[in-house]
Amino acid sequence: MRRRIGYVGQRGGADIEATGRENLVLQGRLYGMGRHETERRADELIELLDLGSFCRRIARTYSGGQRRRLEVALGIVHRPDVLFLDEPTLGLDPQNRANLWDQLRRLRDTGTTVLLTTHYLDEADQLSDRVAIIDHGLVVAEGPPEDLRGRYPAGVTITPRPGFADLATVTAELGREPLVREARIDGETIRVDLDSATTGMAAIFDLLRARGVEVQGVSLREPSLDDVFLHETGRSLRDAGPAATEAIAS
Amino acid sequence: MTFLLQTTLLARRRILETLRQPIWVFMGLSVPLMYLALFAPLLKPLAGGPGFPGGSVLDVFVPGILALMAFGSGMGAGWIVIGELESGVIERLRVTPASRLALVLGTILRDVLMFVVPAVLVLVVATPFGFHPHWAGLAILLGLLALLTAACSAASAALGITLKQIGSLAAVVTGLQLPLTLLAGVLLPLSLGPGWLQGLAHVNPMYYAVEAARDLAAGNLASATVAEGFGVMGAAALLAIWWSTRAYRRAMA
Repeated sequence: MRRRIGYVGQRGGADIEATGRENLVLQGRLYGMGRHETERRADELIELLDLGSFCRRIARTYSGGQRRRLEVALGIVHRPDVLFLDEPTLGLDPQNRANLWDQLRRLRDTGTTVLLTTHYLDEADQLSDRVAIIDHGLVVAEGPPEDLRGRYPAGVTITPRPGFADLATVTAELGREPLVREARIDGETIRVDLDSATTGMAAIFDLLRARGVEVQGVSLREPSLDDVFLHETGRSLRDAGPAATEAIAS
Repeated sequence: MTFLLQTTLLARRRILETLRQPIWVFMGLSVPLMYLALFAPLLKPLAGGPGFPGGSVLDVFVPGILALMAFGSGMGAGWIVIGELESGVIERLRVTPASRLALVLGTILRDVLMFVVPAVLVLVVATPFGFHPHWAGLAILLGLLALLTAACSAASAALGITLKQIGSLAAVVTGLQLPLTLLAGVLLPLSLGPGWLQGLAHVNPMYYAVEAARDLAAGNLASATVAEGFGVMGAAALLAIWWSTRAYRRAMA
């Protein structure tokens, strides 16, 4: 069993007094791989996770992103079928985060099932084929991220040219469009909730043009996993309770 | 076979870790020499008196210093283990198929090496200053004190995993160090002390190691004291290794 799973904890646990390469070789040998096989595998991982420029330095000198990549490499030395990652990008800057995402996608493409927990919902959205939102130990929503997001409306805010008088009539008419869930007036703007941003937008613009409404600005907000999370757990993101998102990329 | 390989790999990892900290190596070698240079002269006036039968005070003092070194070399293990709990190293190693016993033994082997090398240096340095070496006895003495190092190393690691906090570990270890070493007669023989102190010493496992070490250094290889020393130290080491292995198995950061 231990040989079929890989695990990278929140605190990844590289030996900081050893070089990256030494870390990889020791890990491989502890998994029972032969000397030559381990050396080959280490080179392979150095290539895969792009550790080449620093793998011969002592790990204490690594940046957060470099250390994280080494730790992911340590988790997959023995070619596990399933890799568990606990908050892999915690504390990484946006560039390192994007790099690690690329590498995790590459890993997935080589056939490893990656199961990661994260509090960053955009990360779950970007990386996963399936997402489960867990709140207080219970799965409250589960499915491909597109499906989860698709359950929530996209919000369109239309700002007509100032002085346009008949906001109320146009808003009511917009509300009757088939793809529109709800249309309401908010100050000088009209807010419309759409089932689908792609098909709904065209219908809205057709109607506005037909009624001679001159539009000054339009903004569109597509639903994100944050909306799913907030709705399903019924809490605010700031109140960071024991909710976790589990993402599966397979 | 796998177990031996794992132990070797983990010991090698520990030794490399030590060699890369020049300050550890430097202090490991210099502290015992400072004892010889700064403490031994204080004993000079006691030569020939009670507790120092015949010959040089160094013959009594050196085995005690070696026991102190064996103790100190083992007791450092806990600090490293706490660092590794915090950085996730223990968690990572626990996910691999590596045996928990191999994890414990890897550290012990490093600590024994870090005791034996400076110990030999002390013996070599002390000899021209009046220490009378009995080399066969000294070889067995190093083996006996290696058991003391093993017991201390395993116990310290187990304490580290259990207490999880550097501060708590420091309090426990420094709290134990004084009674354990003093009641073993490490720096001054207990025969100088009152009867109740000598009686109290008999519940201290380290006392048996120091008594046996003095016999071995004097060349009394087949004494009952030596057998007792090996018996007590062997049992202490086994018990500590069992405790430490169990602690590794249950370790949670």
